[in-house]
Amino acid sequence: MASIRLEKLTKKFGGFTAVDALELSVDHGEFVALLGPSGCGKTTTMNMIAGMETPTTGEIYFDERSMRDVPMGRRSVGFVFQNYAIFTRMTVHGNLSFGLRARKPRPSRQDIDQEVKRVAKIVGLSTVLDRKAASLSVNDLQKVALGRSMIVKPAIFLLDEPFSNLDAAFRAYMRAELKRLQHEIGQTMIYVTHDQVEAMSMADRIAVMNRGELQQFAPPLELYTRPANMFVAGFVGSTPINFLPAEAMPPSLLRRAANGDRRQLGIRPEYLTLVPRDAPEATIRATVRLVEPLGAKDVVHLEWNDHQMRALGRPGQRPRLGDEVGVLFNPQQVLFFDDAGRATA
Amino acid sequence: MARIRLDGVTKSFGAVTALRDISLDIADGEFFAILGPPGAGKTTLLRTIVGLETPEQGDVFADEQRITDVFPGDRNLAIMFQNLALYPDKSVFGNLAFPLKRAKVPRQEIRRRVQETAEKLHIEPLLGRKPAKLSGGERQRVALGRVLVREAGALLLDEPLSALDAMLRLEMRVELKRLQREVGRTLIYVTHDQVEAMSMPDRVAVLREGALQQVDSPENIYHRPASRFVATVIGSPPMNFIPAVAEASNGHLRVVHEQFVMESTAPVTAQRLAPGAPCFVGIRPEDIQVAVGGDGLAARIYATEPLGGETVVDVRLGDRLVKLIASPALQLSIDAEIRIQFDPSRLHVFDGDGMTVLSAGGAQGVMRLESRSRSVGDTDRPVGQ
Repeated sequence: MASIRLEKLTKKFGGFTAVDALELSVDHGEFVALLGPSGCGKTTTMNMIAGMETPTTGEIYFDERSMRDVPMGRRSVGFVFQNYAIFTRMTVHGNLSFGLRARKPRPSRQDIDQEVKRVAKIVGLSTVLDRKAASLSVNDLQKVALGRSMIVKPAIFLLDEPFSNLDAAFRAYMRAELKRLQHEIGQTMIYVTHDQVEAMSMADRIAVMNRGELQQFAPPLELYTRPANMFVAGFVGSTPINFLPAEAMPPSLLRRAANGDRRQLGIRPEYLTLVPRDAPEATIRATVRLVEPLGAKDVVHLEWNDHQMRALGRPGQRPRLGDEVGVLFNPQQVLFFDDAGRATA
Repeated sequence: MARIRLDGVTKSFGAVTALRDISLDIADGEFFAILGPPGAGKTTLLRTIVGLETPEQGDVFADEQRITDVFPGDRNLAIMFQNLALYPDKSVFGNLAFPLKRAKVPRQEIRRRVQETAEKLHIEPLLGRKPAKLSGGERQRVALGRVLVREAGALLLDEPLSALDAMLRLEMRVELKRLQREVGRTLIYVTHDQVEAMSMPDRVAVLREGALQQVDSPENIYHRPASRFVATVIGSPPMNFIPAVAEASNGHLRVVHEQFVMESTAPVTAQRLAPGAPCFVGIRPEDIQVAVGGDGLAARIYATEPLGGETVVDVRLGDRLVKLIASPALQLSIDAEIRIQFDPSRLHVFDGDGMTVLSAGGAQGVMRLESRSRSVGDTDRPVGQ
């Protein structure tokens, strides 16, 4: 186990600043996700923590010890990459045990075997231990990559988009497994992803990055309900948040924004309720433009005075295209942002 | 416009059978999706329709005309591949005009059609630009435009959104659906993404290892899947499957699990599910509730996955992990003991081979659920609400 602290960490590639004065503290045993679009600097940050990239300026501390002169091999970090490098001519057992066999002094065969079986069970490889890795499915290869880094019990576990090649059902399964695993072994984990569902569902805290800069560092639900700015608000949430110009909204909705600028109003789709057109409680009346059924729920696309918004609907009460409906805003859940996109209320 | 029909199409590549006896009838103007995991034969199916592959057996029809032996260029079908392949040295206008020029369409007509297509896709301001100066989403629109502009009888798209990032994919999903309604052209859409297959088309064909599993509306695929496989490929998180044992009671099907008994008014048909046979109870995560009172099945929280608007909760029910959807307002911590309830009318039953015996919605009979475990309250009290 180890804590990690990044102090004004900066990485420049020529004139391009990939990571800009990043400050971040990760506690012992914490699961932190670095989340952002491609090019936001999340992978560069992870590579610096691992020791694969040297910071231009700034410091990295593990347990308050500077890593400036510590080479990659001495940092006690385990990786899982997007491109798992598996020894295809070895068996699954051989791949999993590789890290243990390389250890000095070498553990006994029995200990290795026991450990391989334990990890194989966790990642779901027990039945294929004797198979050659070359014959495995993509899902199973990813499990081998995960299991292999798990088995050496590093102080810090770094994962770079480890699920991006997996199919949806297996990703859903692995999310729960990895979260549970982290809870059980209590290892410090840094997880790099562009998928907000992965970050939200697994991490204790999420560092949202954009263009090399930290946007917000907070627990998942805080990011969701109190985003620091419009970028964060828009990046998290499966059905995107609605942004509407505040000045166009009924005054009753604006009451909560007593302080600061209120240029944009943000409200998440689940806080818009569709009501009959003439319902007195309706905040606005909008036209149904499109319904996207997702199974458990519908995403209802609405148009109101040239503004587009999305609401969630129940499949049993699906409005028809072109219908005029009332839309009730939950006033408790309205967010406001200023000209620069910063949250103001 | 065209109705596309496949009749017993079979295709192999060496020892691998890519398509097994596929029969499909796609209506004129229909938005039709083909869904399946990688390697299911989706792309081969698409290539067979446009004529890039020749079936060993069976025939392809367009509007009742047999086109199995018709040259691809003469089929009046337009296909867009996963890899967009725009001409980098041509402007957007040039890219859109290219298929028309090749077809020797008169100049005036080309201009009119390119203009019209660009309007539909909201790319008129980009007509003078080269592809390198376009964003990912804009390029996607141009590629789509190049297929649209031909005014072919049917459009075939192979995973057109798979290269886009999540936000853009979401936008293009909406755009495609709107567009298809506007142009009213037959659209055949290949995807491995269940959200795309659920949200856009009129009907979905689920393909597995070259064989059709179910052809139905997205709603029916979701609520009345024909098999465990179909139940798994659509819905996120996927449906839960709980192993149980079938029993007959007065000729009706009873499904017995360690912790509950499910009774249905559906008759037991011996061939489908013999008494004593292993089976699976299927239930979607949104149809399981955390019981607030004392009643329900005992479960232990394995992990919680907050998503913001809702939380996926993984619980251990017996030796199985089950996913359910809960409100983020519920305080749930790992390893806590909770009770869960199912809505009995939302249960599915699958036989040992994964074929559907009973579907949610109660079409085959009313289902009743009872708790069996003594620790879970009165034995004869129904567990569902």
